[in-house]
Parts: sequence; C-alpha cells; structure tokens
Amino acid sequence: MPLLSTIVWLPVIAAVVLAVFPRSAANAIKGTGLVVSLATFVISLGILPRFTDAPGFQLVELHPWIPQWGINYGLGVDGISLWLVLLTTLLTPVVLLAGWNSIKKHPKEYVISFLIMEAAMIGFFLATDLVLLYVFFELTLIPMYLVIGVWGGANRIYAAIKFFLFTMAGSLLMLLGIIYLGFSYVHQSPVGILSFAITDLYGVSLTPRVASLLFFAFSLAFAIKVPLFPLHTWLPDAHVEAPTGGSIILAGVMLKMGTYGFLRLVMPLFPDASHKYAHLLLTLSVIGIIYGALVAWVQPDMKKLVAYSSVSHLGFCVMGIFALTQTSIEGSILQMVNHGISTGALFLMVGVIYERRHTRLLADYGGLATAMPVYATLFVISMLSSVGLPGLNGFVGEFLILSGTFKTYPVYAVIAATGVILAAIYLLWLIQKVFYGPVTNEENTKVRDIAWNEIAAMVPLIIMMVWIGVYPNTFLKRMSPSVNELISVVKQEKQIHVMVTENGGGTLNREPSPRASGEKVAEGRMRGDASVNQQGGGR
Amino acid sequence: MNVLAPLTAGWASAILPEIILCIGGMIVLLWDAFAPRMKALLAPLSLIILIVAANSERFIGGGTFFGGTYEISPITRVFDITFFLAAMLTTLFARDFLDREGIESGEFYALLLWGTVGMMMMAKGLDLLIIILGLEMLSMCIFVLVGFARKLPVSNEASVKYFLMGAFATGFVLYGTALFYGATQSTNITVMARYFATSDGSNPLLTIAFVLLMAGFGFKLALAPFHPWAPDVYQGAPTPVSGWLSVAPKAATLIALVRLFTAMTPVLPKVSWMQLVAVLSVLSMLIGNAVAIVQRDLKRMLAYSGIAHVGYMTIAMLTMRDENIAAVAVYTIVYALMNIGAFGVVSLLSKNQNDPQTLDDIAGLGFRRPYYGLALAVCMFSLAGLPPTGGFVSKFYIFKSAIDSGHTTMALLGILASIISVYYYLRVVYFLYMKEPAEGFVVETVGDVFSVGALAISMIGILLIGIYPTPLFNMAGAAARAFLQ
Repeated sequence: MPLLSTIVWLPVIAAVVLAVFPRSAANAIKGTGLVVSLATFVISLGILPRFTDAPGFQLVELHPWIPQWGINYGLGVDGISLWLVLLTTLLTPVVLLAGWNSIKKHPKEYVISFLIMEAAMIGFFLATDLVLLYVFFELTLIPMYLVIGVWGGANRIYAAIKFFLFTMAGSLLMLLGIIYLGFSYVHQSPVGILSFAITDLYGVSLTPRVASLLFFAFSLAFAIKVPLFPLHTWLPDAHVEAPTGGSIILAGVMLKMGTYGFLRLVMPLFPDASHKYAHLLLTLSVIGIIYGALVAWVQPDMKKLVAYSSVSHLGFCVMGIFALTQTSIEGSILQMVNHGISTGALFLMVGVIYERRHTRLLADYGGLATAMPVYATLFVISMLSSVGLPGLNGFVGEFLILSGTFKTYPVYAVIAATGVILAAIYLLWLIQKVFYGPVTNEENTKVRDIAWNEIAAMVPLIIMMVWIGVYPNTFLKRMSPSVNELISVVKQEKQIHVMVTENGGGTLNREPSPRASGEKVAEGRMRGDASVNQQGGGR
Repeated sequence: MNVLAPLTAGWASAILPEIILCIGGMIVLLWDAFAPRMKALLAPLSLIILIVAANSERFIGGGTFFGGTYEISPITRVFDITFFLAAMLTTLFARDFLDREGIESGEFYALLLWGTVGMMMMAKGLDLLIIILGLEMLSMCIFVLVGFARKLPVSNEASVKYFLMGAFATGFVLYGTALFYGATQSTNITVMARYFATSDGSNPLLTIAFVLLMAGFGFKLALAPFHPWAPDVYQGAPTPVSGWLSVAPKAATLIALVRLFTAMTPVLPKVSWMQLVAVLSVLSMLIGNAVAIVQRDLKRMLAYSGIAHVGYMTIAMLTMRDENIAAVAVYTIVYALMNIGAFGVVSLLSKNQNDPQTLDDIAGLGFRRPYYGLALAVCMFSLAGLPPTGGFVSKFYIFKSAIDSGHTTMALLGILASIISVYYYLRVVYFLYMKEPAEGFVVETVGDVFSVGALAISMIGILLIGIYPTPLFNMAGAAARAFLQ
C-alpha cells in the first residue's frame, strides 16, 4: 500500500466514518479519533526506514489528477518535509489527548475537524505538485476556522474571520501566480505542455519584472502564514481565542506551512528575486524577532505571551532561510520542529491551568509550584526548551541559525541574537510570576495537579526536546542532502541568470548605466559570498 | 399515408427533447385538471418527463436543421445538461415548498418544463430570431413563475418588476437584432460570421447594435449595471423559482452570447466592444460582492452573489478560445449545483414566503439540523471557491483561461473580488455553526424525501467535481473544440 497516501487519507476516512457516529457516543468518538491519529503516527514512522539519505523526493507517488492541465496527484518526501510530517502526525494525537476532558461542546465535530486538518497539513508538506499543494493549503483553513469559531474564547468570531480572511487573501494571489507559472513553463518546455510539478517549475526562467511580481505574490501568502512582522496581527487574536488544541496545531504546524513555503517554493522558484529582496525579508524577520519578544515581555496574559513569542521564534526561521547557508537552513528546519514541540507544549500547559482556574492572567497566579509540583516541572522544562537552554532542542536550532547567518549577514545575526536574550527574560518572568514567590490568591493552593491524559500528551514532547537537544544529528543528517541540493538549485539558476543578463547587457547597452553596473557589482558580491558559504557550510 | 412520417423525418428527431418537454408539460397540466386529488404525483411525473427528455438526446445526431437556423452539437448538449439539472433540482425542491405554501398545481411544473424548452432554443438557435423566440418563451414562463404565489403581494410585485424590465430588455435585443440585420443583411449567425470575417467593424450601426444587444442580454444575465431587478425579484419569487432563475436563464444567455462573440471574433481586435464587456464584468464583480456584504436577507445576498458570479463567467467570455468556452460551460454546471443547492436549503427553512429569510433564521442550524447545515456550508464554500469543491476547480478554470488568453489584469481583479466575497460566504457558515439561535426561536423544517435527495445530488456533485473534475473537463473541452471548428 502506498505509504504517503495512507497517512494522508487515513484521517480523512476516519473523519467520514465518525460523521455517522451517534452524537451521544462522545467517548467512542474521541477514542476512535485518538486511535486513528496514533495509527497515523505509527504508520508515518514507517517512512524513516525507507528513507535514504539522498536528495530529491522519495517514496514518490504520481498519478494524473487533471491531465488536461498537467496537474498530478504527486506525493513525495524529502529531507525538508520529512520532520515536518512527523511533527504533524505527532502533534495530532497530543492535541486529541489534551482535549479529552476539556472539550464538552460538540466533541464529534471537534475530532472530525482535527482529523481533516491533520490530513490537509500532511498533504501540504508532501505535495510535489503546486496545485495539489495549494489545495491542501486552503483545505487547512476550513477546519481551523471552525475550531476557532466554535470552540474558541469570548472574541472567537472576530479572530476566526480575521484568520481566514488574512490567509485567504494571500493565498488567492498565490493561486494567480501558480497559474502564471504553469503557463510560463508551457512556453519554455520543449514539449509545450502544462506542468505544475514543483521540480519542473524550478527550471522556469522569468523576466526580472515577472519574477519580482510572482515572488511577492508567493511571499505574501507565506509571510501572512508565518507570520512576518507587519502581517502578524491575526496571530495573537487567533491564538488567544482558539481552544488549546487549536493553538497547539496553529503554532505547532500551521505557521510552519509558511516557512516551508518559503523554503520549498519561494527560494528555488525565484532565486533572483530572493537575492534581490533578501534584505527586505531579513529586515522584517529581525524586526519580528525583536518586536515579538518585546511585546511578549509586557503581556499580562500567558497565552498572548506565548503567541508573541511565536512571532519572535518564527522570525529566526525565516532569517535562517534567507541567509542561504547550509547551516542556517538546516537550523531553520530544525527550529521549525523545535518550535512546534516547545510552543505546542507551552500552549498545552497554559491550557491545563486555564481549564482549572479559568484565567490566564499572570497577576492571578503566584507560588503555584507548591500546589502543582508535577505541572510546574513540565512547564519549566518546556519553557527552558523554548528559551534555548543548551541540552534542550531550542538551543541547537537557534545556534545553527545564528552561526549560519553570521557568515553571510553578520549584522542581522548580531541583532537577532539579542532576541535570544529577550526570550530568556520574558519566559523566566512568566515562570517566576506564576510558579514562585508567595501565594497571593487562596484559590491557587487547592488546584488539582496535572491529569493522566495531560501527562501522556506531554511525555512524547519532553522526550523529543531532550533528544533533539542532546543528539540533533539524528535529524540533521536526514535533511543535509536535501538542503544541499536546494542551495545548489538556488545558486545554479542564479548563475545562469547572471550570465544571461551579463551577455544581454553587453550587446544591448554598450555603456551600462551606473545603476545597472552597481547591481552587477552587488550580484557579484553575493556570488562571492555564496561560494564562501558553500565551503564554510559543509560540516 | 403514414401519419408517423414527420416523426421520423430529420427535423422532428432533432427537436425530440423539446417535443417531449412540450407535450409533457401539457400532460402535467391535464393531470392536475383531471386528477386534482393526486397532486402529490405531479412532481414525480414531471421528473419522469425530464428524465425521458434528457435521455432522448442520445438518439439525435448532430448537425444543423431548419435551413441552418438550429444547431445540435456537443456544446449544446453540455448546456442542455445544465438546463435539465436546473429543472430537476428545482422540481425536487419545489414540491415540498409549494405544498407548504398551499400553491401546488400542475401549472408550476408545466411552466418549468416549457421554460426549459425556451432555454434549449436559445442554446441551439443559429439565428438571432430563434434565440429571441427562445428568450420570449422562457420569459413568459418566468413572469408567471415569479408571481406564482399569487396571493402574496411580494410575489406579485416581483412579477410585475420582472415583466416591465424584461419587456424592455427584449425590446433592446430586438432592436439590436434589427440593426445587425441592417448592417450584415442577415440575422443568421453563420451568415453574420461570413460578414464579420471581411468587415473592419467601422460601421457605427454595428456598435449601436452590439451595445443594445448587450443591454438586453445583460438584463437576463443580471450583469451590472443591468442588475437592480435581481435582488427584488429573487426575494419575492417562490424560493425554488429564485434558485432556478439565478442559474438557468443565465446559462442560456451565455451560450447565445458565446455563439455571437465567436461569429464576431475576426472583427473584435479592430473594435472596442470587448472592453465594454470587460467593464460590465468588473462592475458586476465589484457591485455584486460589495453589496452582498451588507445583506442580511439570504435570498438578497444570494442574488448579489449571483451578480458577482456572472462577472467571473464574463471574464472567460472576453476571448473565444476553446478553453474559455469550456470554462464557461463547466462553470454553469457547477454554478447550477451550488446555487440551486443554496436556494434549496433556504426554501426548506422558509416558514412563510412573505417573511424575509434572514441570517438569524439559520443561527445554530449546523448543530440542530446537521444535514441541512452541512449542505449549506458546502454550497457556501463552493461559491467562495474553496477546495475541494467544484467551485474551486471551475473558478480555477476561469482564471486559467483568462491568463492564457492574455487577460491577466482581469484575472487579478477577479481574484480580488473573490477575496471580498469570502467574507459574506463565511458569515453564513458563522451563523450556521457559531451563533446560538435567538431565545424561543424554532424552525419547523421537515423537508420531504425529494428535497433531501436534491441536497444530496448537489453536495455529491459539488464534491465529486471538486475532487475528480477530469471527465467533466474532457467533455466540455471536446465540445468547445468541436464548436470552434
């Protein structure tokens, strides 16, 4: 049986079956959902033994879907998507487990939404065809809209609609870009047929103007999803209003769809534009790192604090991607997984206490560690992993990103490094206020400690934090070949294009204008940097 | 002498489905007259007639008939699918609605069948006069159907509005046709095509004729700025009729325009007629979507959303390539499924036709009536163009054909308009699933097996086309290629 299709469609089939379950059988519905998501996780682990450390898509499945337009149902996994898929399949059972007792309203629809969301997210990471990728990208919106809107907090409607409209606006422009790219391929391919296969489109050469426009169409879609600095406003709303499970999936996986999009599509499809606008994106991501951290610092609400910390952490991922070195990109991918695990754990923890005390305000807590020792321990571990304590996962990712970025863009790396310090400040601040100090509120002395299902949900996350922190090579060695390939794709096209423009420029304009020559110098510098990176990047 | 001879003649078999529908309509009328107590059988009877007529298409060869004024080709068959689909779904939804309103009678189904004949004539007419005949036959049926709830003032008002505006629109079409005749010496589209092949389009008569025709057809399409009748009429008409009206006549008008535009293709680069059509399309998308946002009445909202959807379809009409024609054909079929489906749910929920059906009426429906809620949600997501629905692939087809024929700006405007539209479609879903119904509010919706079945057809159709559109694309693409040859 095709492995990748199985993990995409198993949750969907389960969701359809669950739809006919009677509404009253809440436990049977939750149980089935949990078993299916666990089964999906176990099956997805089956990718690992079959995965060879080679670049390019593996375990490829390719069937014509809409052959008239060259659209295929194509799934494949490579070093970039591998860990993100496993992260998704890991977090879904965690979410269902965490919500076991807290979801009392419409449990059937809740479980169905998460299963469909899981399938769509896995499909997005596995798709090798641009249209299929887009379909899965959009498909994640509907269940998340329902999850926020039905099971969310007081201001849930505003948050849900804002989330949907922001994402949809970006992605529709990307759809236009996708169609345009397909036609650009037709005009260049020797056979003259449409294709939306991602690897086919890597080779399409575009005029600088078109490439810039398409770059912005795609970047906008993914920058909203990440979210990058000025486009992040939907995120605090969505995170705060979403139920715990929704926040975990939103922060844990959905934001990574944005960074993954940059890595898989934006960089290799538009290498020139990516070079040209690298400073823009790097600047925005660095602003996001600092801004997110500063805003997190002053939040009175725990969930909002963690939400803004996501803006900061995702800034690191985007910075690492656009720094374009082997080290920084590997760091970014690892950091995507890390953030999913650590922030997922933090949201889970915040959800646990919210469920017991129905407040998330830091001011309402204090000295909780005495009443809930187990909970406090788990929370502190998650927090330290998010801060980037050596020995836990966050450190490895941030270190790789910063050291990789330092080689190409030292200034950005230095500024971003202060974000790490700020993270330590606001998260330690959170811990101090909530768990230590005198008990200010009598109610906090008799809070029930963490329950079995919540511990069960946390254990795998803690294991992963330690594993990645202590021995990241398990993960890095699988992604190295693909990252290497990606960098060479980006740079190779770049060089071909520079050659073409240099020749063209030579024949057309005898005397190149000062501006043009300036650009060429800049490009030359970038190329020089690139070769340095390749030497420095190989580990 | 053999009395059956005419039936075996070529011309008779060419219009076999039309003949069946006409006679079938009379049978339905007579049935109601002679067996007034068996009204329950009227809907099944007209369904059977529709199915028989649809199947009779298989026995007809292609070609032109009646002296080159009537053409049967793959593309007319594709559009016939839309007409039959629309009529069947409407019949299924209507039975329960008419029964509740106490206005069930044979005339309703008969008029629906005859209206379908009118649309088939518009689709197959190769002569502007045949198209106008079809248009009139259709309009007569619509006038009566819109006012079918004759005891209700809103219904009568809608009927009068539609009649007055419709009469003007037909006048414009006739006047335009007359001017075309003056310029090209024929009303036959084939002859006109020969004229356009050699003309430079500089004759001012042609421009005036084109503008008049577009005004008349624009009215039937509810294309802005000829749209203001649509919200009032849809709101006042019996809800199943609104659904039918929002889909089928538009499809018939579009195929007539496809014929006309194709004939004009050689002359189009020399004149600015298509810029005019582009302006109408952009206006429709913007006005339709912007005004739909502030509507709280479901039928009015769907009316404005329909105006926007015609705008999308018109994007593909700007250039007559096979892909564009196929895109329009696919869009009309999907549009029939999703829009009649949406109106169907609204008609199921209506307590009393005189009352407006606002968004508040569907609050919490998603959990109280999961099946109806899901159906309406699927229709909304499809109208918004989200995967994995037919609305997504058909919109994709429209934008793809637009970009391929060089109308990237129009595609961009269409995309921007769709972004606006997502808001009000989502609001319906918000009311379905996230809003508690008002205190003491009860919706007594039962729905008969027909309406439940019609909803199932819509939903399965929408999802099936969204997930596996290849057969439909193959059929539409082949038909469009054959049409252009």
